Amino acid sequence: MMNGNSIQKTTRKGKMSNESFITLFMFVVLVALFCIACLFVPNFYMGQNILNLVTNYWYVIIIGIGVTFLLTTGNFDMSVGGVIAMTGVLSVYFCQSTDGSQPLAVGLGLPYGIAVVLALLCALCIGAINAFFIAKLRVASIIITLGTMSFARGIGQIVTLGAQRNTSLPEAYGVIGNAAIPGTSVKLSVLIMVLIVIIAVVIEKKTVFGRRTYLIGANSEAARLSGVKVTKHLTLLYLASALLAGVTGLLLASEYKAGISGRATGYEFDALVITLLGGTSISGGFGSVLGTVVGALILSVVTSSATGLLLSPDWQFTIKGVVTFLAILAQRFALDRRKG
Amino acid sequence: MTQKKLCRSTDWRRTIKNVYIYVVLVLIVVIFSVVKLDQVKLFGRGHFLSPDSITNLLRMAVPIMTVSGGFTLLMISEYIDLSVGSAMSLSAVVFSWLVLNGFSFIPAFLMTMVMGVLLGAINGFLVMKLRITPVIATLVTLNLYKGAALLIVPDGISGIKSTDIQQMPSWISDYARQKVLFGLPASFVVALVVIAILVVLQRKTLIGKYSAAIGGNRTAAELSGINVVKMVWLLYIIVGILAAMAGIARASYMSLGDPLSGDGMETDCIIAVLLGGTAFTGGEGSVAKTIIGALIIMCMTTGLMTVIDPYYQTFAKSVVLILAVTLNHLLVRQKVSA
Repeated sequence: MMNGNSIQKTTRKGKMSNESFITLFMFVVLVALFCIACLFVPNFYMGQNILNLVTNYWYVIIIGIGVTFLLTTGNFDMSVGGVIAMTGVLSVYFCQSTDGSQPLAVGLGLPYGIAVVLALLCALCIGAINAFFIAKLRVASIIITLGTMSFARGIGQIVTLGAQRNTSLPEAYGVIGNAAIPGTSVKLSVLIMVLIVIIAVVIEKKTVFGRRTYLIGANSEAARLSGVKVTKHLTLLYLASALLAGVTGLLLASEYKAGISGRATGYEFDALVITLLGGTSISGGFGSVLGTVVGALILSVVTSSATGLLLSPDWQFTIKGVVTFLAILAQRFALDRRKG
Repeated sequence: MTQKKLCRSTDWRRTIKNVYIYVVLVLIVVIFSVVKLDQVKLFGRGHFLSPDSITNLLRMAVPIMTVSGGFTLLMISEYIDLSVGSAMSLSAVVFSWLVLNGFSFIPAFLMTMVMGVLLGAINGFLVMKLRITPVIATLVTLNLYKGAALLIVPDGISGIKSTDIQQMPSWISDYARQKVLFGLPASFVVALVVIAILVVLQRKTLIGKYSAAIGGNRTAAELSGINVVKMVWLLYIIVGILAAMAGIARASYMSLGDPLSGDGMETDCIIAVLLGGTAFTGGEGSVAKTIIGALIIMCMTTGLMTVIDPYYQTFAKSVVLILAVTLNHLLVRQKVSA
């Protein structure tokens, strides 16, 4: 719905951009939800629990960043879940030892470092496939990425014969996934997530690349005519998103010391949900990495409350649906009111 | 001279566009018929085109045949429903629950259909009245319906089926399995009737024309006096009803209500519609061709099962999806520029 009062935009209250406003709004929602949860769920306010809330969804936040940037340009990336599974499986396969009796215990026997790099390259290939069809041929992104999601997951299924690979791994394999700050339960993965978030926020707010992302989303034709190389930009974003998913896949596989073909099922929808909760608009031109992080925290609070209230895990789907729905409505409402 | 040349090149492209889908179907059938000829006789037991195999394929194709026609109408009007899979699962669960708890076929069938109307109406409400983007709205309902289906099934068992306390009556599988016409079950006949109705609706009635108008240019349609809100709402309800029927067929076929039985149905429907030549951007499309697309998918699914191991399926289907979408996109683009 287009608002015709573009001239009067400058007279709105306050100097905050719409993005910051929404992020702040969702943060308030987060705090409100947290308080409500503290009232109803036993022990919700305990320090350990709060720490868990923040670190629980580290993997969704990492892939969520890729999804956020892409959604800001008006494109989807639903392939991340499949890429996570594929990268994990391939990294296991590449460094499993070459002697063994069972087909699932035999791999290519490459050194750990090479296996990791190779697996990440494969993830980048998926990103390249996405970029080719979406940026170059301009096919609808949601369908292509749903296709590449199945494609990547399918590769994972083929390599694991539908199950998983978790034997004959070198010693070094489990290190990065399970390493933690001594004395706490904060894992290396969480630190990596924080680092990536910081980098992403800097890129989004301070670099030309970040600004161009918004421009492409707002009006890709105008961007193209202004000299922005849209195809190249989108290609980079899809490669980056695949890389993020690949790193997440490696960390998860390392944590569990197994390459599971069924891993990360549904993560892409979670990533989309937290991006939307964070205020990123599905039609593009509007988005925020910090908002996505807030969105992840909201989801974390909601699902933890559900667990704390001893609801069965089946409730998760319903809850996610309701929360997304309410968040979208709330955002629409808040933005409409702000525009006056 | 130039005009004649232009006409010919457009005709050539248009012919390809209309014909390629039948070519693909024939090709797939031929491939799967030929691939194991050294092991099984042509039309004999175990062959792709044996009567048993064909019957089986068509029986399993009932859900997608039922739903994809209505899905086409929706996509023609440039709207989408990603929740059909979950709606189907929920209907399967509800239907089997009703049957398990003593309701006979017709009441259970009708009650599930009413629920289908409700599910479709909710989608329509979210998309048309609250004006939420169809993708998001139906993703939300996807989760909601899936959650509902999972919640109805008691913890610890995989679906609504016979337990120590209650027995699932054996007639439940009659609808989807008992041979009624040429060895095919009632559910298939119903699917055929549905398809026939939808083809007529799309080609001959205002519902079809209005859908194409809305998909072509929504604002223009609105300004021409078409009640877009009511029209699309109706389409969502139709899809909901069809999803319910598909769920009933699936529950009957499996004799149990599996809350995950509809997963992936939306992707299959999208592939079928795209294979059938309906553009993603709406404005044109054909129910009949979508059904051919659905048949192609079913042939691929069942055919692949005989040739490669099950865990190759995801991969193979994804390749087909990507190729189908790209082909569709390129063809549509050509038509527009011509």
